[in-house]
Amino acid sequence: MLELHVHGSPTVARDVLLAVLAAGARLAEPGEFTRRAFLVGKLDLTAAEAVGELIAAEDRSRARGAAARLSGGLAREIDTASAALDAIVEELGAAIDFPDDVPSPERSELAARLAAVDAHLAALGETWEAGRRVREGLSVAIVGPPNAGKSSLLNALLGVERALVSAIAGTTRDTIEESIALGGGASARLIDTAGLRDATEALEAAGILRTRAALAEATLALVVVDGARPLDTAARDVLDATRGRERVVFFNKADLGRAGFDAREHAEAGAISGSAHDAESVARVREALRAAAGADRVDFAQPHLGTVRQGDAVLEARRALARVRDTLDAGEPIDLVAGDVMAARASLHELTGREASESLLDAIFARFCIGK
Amino acid sequence: MRDAKRDGVLPSTTMNEPRRDAEVIVVGGGHAGVEAAHAAAAMGRATLLVTGDPERICTLACNPSIGGSAKGQLVREIDALGGAMARIIDRSSLHVRFLNESKGYAVRALRAQADKERYVLEATALLRSLQHLTIACGLVDDLIVESGAVRGVVTSDGRRFYADRVVLATGTFLGGKIFRGEFSQAAGRVGEAPALELSHALRRLGFPTGRLKTGTPPRVATQSVDFEAMRVQEPSPIPLMFSYRNSPAFAGPQLPCHVVSTNNETHALVRDNLHRSPLYGLDLIAGIGPRYCPSIEDKVMKFSHNPSHLVFVEPEGWTTNSLYIGGFSTSLPEDVQRAMVRTLPGFARADLLRPGYAVEYDYVPPTELRASLETRRVAGLYFCGQLNGTSGYEEAAAQGLIAGINAARAARGEAAIVLGRGEAYIGVLIDDLVTRGVDEPYRMLSSRAEHRVVLRHDNADLRLCELGFSIGLLPPEVHEAFEARRALLVDAISRADTIRSAAGSVAERLRRPSVTAADVAADLPVDSEILERVAIEIKLAGYVKRQEVAIARAARDESTEVPEDFAFGQVSALSLEAREKFARFKPRSLGAAARISGISPADVAILSVALHRARARASVAVAAAV
Repeated sequence: MLELHVHGSPTVARDVLLAVLAAGARLAEPGEFTRRAFLVGKLDLTAAEAVGELIAAEDRSRARGAAARLSGGLAREIDTASAALDAIVEELGAAIDFPDDVPSPERSELAARLAAVDAHLAALGETWEAGRRVREGLSVAIVGPPNAGKSSLLNALLGVERALVSAIAGTTRDTIEESIALGGGASARLIDTAGLRDATEALEAAGILRTRAALAEATLALVVVDGARPLDTAARDVLDATRGRERVVFFNKADLGRAGFDAREHAEAGAISGSAHDAESVARVREALRAAAGADRVDFAQPHLGTVRQGDAVLEARRALARVRDTLDAGEPIDLVAGDVMAARASLHELTGREASESLLDAIFARFCIGK
Repeated sequence: MRDAKRDGVLPSTTMNEPRRDAEVIVVGGGHAGVEAAHAAAAMGRATLLVTGDPERICTLACNPSIGGSAKGQLVREIDALGGAMARIIDRSSLHVRFLNESKGYAVRALRAQADKERYVLEATALLRSLQHLTIACGLVDDLIVESGAVRGVVTSDGRRFYADRVVLATGTFLGGKIFRGEFSQAAGRVGEAPALELSHALRRLGFPTGRLKTGTPPRVATQSVDFEAMRVQEPSPIPLMFSYRNSPAFAGPQLPCHVVSTNNETHALVRDNLHRSPLYGLDLIAGIGPRYCPSIEDKVMKFSHNPSHLVFVEPEGWTTNSLYIGGFSTSLPEDVQRAMVRTLPGFARADLLRPGYAVEYDYVPPTELRASLETRRVAGLYFCGQLNGTSGYEEAAAQGLIAGINAARAARGEAAIVLGRGEAYIGVLIDDLVTRGVDEPYRMLSSRAEHRVVLRHDNADLRLCELGFSIGLLPPEVHEAFEARRALLVDAISRADTIRSAAGSVAERLRRPSVTAADVAADLPVDSEILERVAIEIKLAGYVKRQEVAIARAARDESTEVPEDFAFGQVSALSLEAREKFARFKPRSLGAAARISGISPADVAILSVALHRARARASVAVAAAV
């Protein structure tokens, strides 16, 4: 058993959860941990039963409020996708169980139908990511070489002296998290980090490790470098390291000079030049963060995925569909295709709380006239 | 086999001991009953088979074929455990074919057309070879039950046979009634008396019963049709066997089957005569029919948008003049049937040998049963076959085998065997029956098996021969042959990894879907059957591995047992619906509880906690008593 202790922020916890799920873990079933805790004696009987009642309560409300939880027609969206998969499972099942009566579906046609379902699920998956940014806030790691002014920028964005600032390089040794509102319902969680450079001191080295972790987990990197002087190795390293990922680059200390900014490379063409002490510069950084937070991109009136469980179910379904695609591409027989289509369908049914096995045979017999 | 005597089978007992005529009595000589009697007798138990007509053992009452999708796997599993069906069909088949060959190894299934007369003779010969089996002619009217346990049976002519284990395999005879047009008659099959009294006896014992319906199509004289007008289905040019014991050989000349289609004229006759149908116009039949085997009336009415339906023309034997008209099951009056048949291509002058009919019969909801197929209500009493709401010879035989094995084991105080859903189609079949019940005649379908990648035709021996041998049903020499085959297979699979050519190792090549066993035959010189199995094992390895993870996960919940007398009503945290469902279906394990329809994961979690609580209380009570 592996236990992960993470920063106490929902975003970090969720991002770690997502990473773990992407690596192949699965979410616990309702009641699974209670059952385990009970079995190994970590929970006494009354407590276990009480948890059981709580789960039951949640489950009843789930049954009652499937529509409420799967708000904005999401259930309909999922149903559309799973109905398309149902039809495929039915056709394959009928062709296998009644080979005299029902011909096998065409492989190329199957592939096209499956691709359409996958595209649909991919679109829903995007609403989840966008929705998540807005709901939970964009997670932003502020990174840069020591003494580039990261903490000053954080304070300016927050409007308070949150981070200890000093002229001594390497002052911030731990990561610091704060949330700011960006307007239009969007928000960002700013994670100030220790400066990235080769640490000379043990404490600072630990801080840098945490910085790298924060950077890996954050959705967006806010890169701060000293733009007054020609870029040193540390600054160039940070810029190189964050190229290709979602980021906002801020060349600080424009009030002292622009040598670094003027000599910037093409990849940093869209960078912001300014000073952490200048209100207008800080406003431009906020605007860049607001755009990244996607406040204008997601329409909550439209169907979207709202919870990790929903997102995971869609991810799981898409993973099964990817296996189906491989199986089809490899020219494997249709029975092996059917297995993973059923797995994809089961993930979606789990999301909507529907039972899969019950309806399959009913549908086969309703659609196909079968039997000798 | 010995002749039954009124005085019984076993040596007479002393005054003080209760009389015993056998260790196991089997009632019914159909596919379930014969398999049960064969298993019990082959396991060395004194077994008495009571049947209405010992000359018609294992009659193929409807279609003349054995096997097909999922059903073929059942037959293979029966054989791997040591049962009879595979050997009987192998010795009487006149047309054998693999179905689904292009659809995947797991769903590939064997189907054979049988010579119906030969089938009965071969079944009889097989039973005759069993020294512990006695066959008695009789219609069982009643059961002898004392303090909740079965003690024997009573026949309609007043004879009593005593045994502590009784297997009921009554087929469509229990409360059987046949229908054709305005005509109806109490009968198990045409011309054979039904078991009416036994049905009452079961209800007196408290068993609920329901009505199911099935049907059979007309039979047509072979020389009265013109095969030139029909599409031909050729049998396999090489002999294919169900039984692992039989080396490949044709049982006799192989015959083609034929296919034709219905047309507007056929459908018009159905529609114009619906008022004479016992199902539609006359409304005589209450029982629920199988959707996978609809009558031609159902096909025309429920699928009215289909301009035509397929009709399968199958010979019923090498010498008989009878053709089975598959897909044409009907209970319309005989004159309408004749007219309908004559609308088919090649059937313009067809003679009806026997009209089709519908049959309605009693079944007992199989949720009355334990997974051993013993009833919960009466100890020592086992049910199998159509009595449990199934249809099909193979489904019946599979249950008969398990009921026979478990009755035989119980007679010696041994625990019942229960096959898992990841172990055998037989396990899926019985688990579906006892945990979910039925609402129409149940047919085995590959769609019902969530682990079907591992439940294959080719590997039934790997799955079940060891078990068959350990329970004393699979003979030692058959088990030895299996072990030798398994050793060859294991060796060939490991060599497939090491033998290399320019195109890679044999295993690497076989993993490519386009590469067949034949393509690597030159590099891996083994018997062609073994080579085929090597190819299947290697090609499916990735899929099987994933399936095994799922099976292992499911097995954990299966091993948490629910006590027989568990009071679901006392678990207040359960929803009312869950409490009702658990009380009704009496799941035997946590896994079975989860499979009941409408049960949520939360209900299962709560049940799990309640079960452990009950167990903790029980152990405290035991400790206090000590």
